[in-house]
Amino acid sequence: MESEQERLLHLLAGVAQQDRQAFEALYRDISGRMFGLCLKLCGQRQLAEEALQDAFVRIWHHAGEYHSDRGSPLSWMLSIARYRTLDLIRARKVRQSVGDQPLKNLADERAGPLDHTLQQAGSAALTGCLDELSASQRDSILLSYYRCLTHEELAQAMDTPLGTVKSWIRRGLMALKRCLEQ
Amino acid sequence: MRKTPERIERLAAEYVLGSLQGLARRRFERWMMESATVRREVWYWEQHVGALNEMVPQRQPPARVWQNIQQRLWPEPLPRSDVGPGRDWLLGGWSLLATAAALVLALVLVQQPAPPSVRVLTGAIVQAGIEDPLWVISEAAHEQRLSLRPVAAQAAAPGKDYELWIVPDDGQPLSLGVVPVGQVYRVTLDEAARQALGSSQTLAISLEPKGGSPTGAPTGPILHVTRLYEL
Repeated sequence: MESEQERLLHLLAGVAQQDRQAFEALYRDISGRMFGLCLKLCGQRQLAEEALQDAFVRIWHHAGEYHSDRGSPLSWMLSIARYRTLDLIRARKVRQSVGDQPLKNLADERAGPLDHTLQQAGSAALTGCLDELSASQRDSILLSYYRCLTHEELAQAMDTPLGTVKSWIRRGLMALKRCLEQ
Repeated sequence: MRKTPERIERLAAEYVLGSLQGLARRRFERWMMESATVRREVWYWEQHVGALNEMVPQRQPPARVWQNIQQRLWPEPLPRSDVGPGRDWLLGGWSLLATAAALVLALVLVQQPAPPSVRVLTGAIVQAGIEDPLWVISEAAHEQRLSLRPVAAQAAAPGKDYELWIVPDDGQPLSLGVVPVGQVYRVTLDEAARQALGSSQTLAISLEPKGGSPTGAPTGPILHVTRLYEL
């Protein structure tokens, strides 16, 4: 893991020096992960492709602004792609269909709305802190994160008043932070 | 709104999550510009919650994405030199028959095939009583560029210029600059222009004082309005 981040850092440093070969190597290295993320977020190939393009154009121009306070190189680059996807979703007002199941049914599922494996992996990454949240807090946070739902859409999807959803997210995030800081 | 530590903490988390939206999101982005504390709080969340990003299964993007990135960062030089020495001369001698210009046009189009499955807008500006189109328009979405190729267009009256506009679905026309007659006019579309054109697919040409509209909106008569089509 560490050596991968070192390699990405090396490539990113090259990109900051306008090294096109480093840029291409970087693209080969992370475009699959980035495209997977964009696609997951918006559920539309065309928009995901556009977000991926925009993100790499941005990385080319802004690679020099990366520094270690911003997280690992991969995390920084994926954040760029995620924000770009969010912007495009909002600008186009597209709303992805949420997998196979209609949103209405999500709230009833004990296991929560996300693919089980994804949730487990996410939990592990957040050192188990997500597990300490209530099911509603965790689901509303993960739905916001992976499905880019607005508070209003979330309230509708979870069939819950808007104020309740907002406080799930707010309290969930703060509980997450307390847990992460331990 | 005051930047209390509690508020920064909460808003940063919601910013990264994406649930902070619209005006509140824009306002928070200004906070980020102003304050290192706010930025650090955002980075904190990006790092921690960002771990979720890395858990999503990989998907291989199609090859055209990389081609498009290269096109955007390092656009191909104009194909002028590829066409051979005759072309500049042809375009320079604007008094030539429109059919000759149309031949050049065909040549250029063949030389620049658009990659498949990239949306391309095309159209023509025509005038009743003139057999050939005045201009032929093509947009290469992957290049974010619009080209206007004069065919039968005549120079504007002395002291006047033609100005090209995007007519959006609603709101003011967006200027794409003054169109020189006698050469291919290429204009790069910014994001706003691309979106407006992608949605309305409508262009207009107005007659303006030399150098273009002084106000940023059309001031002279609208000579032509045309709708583009997707190829």
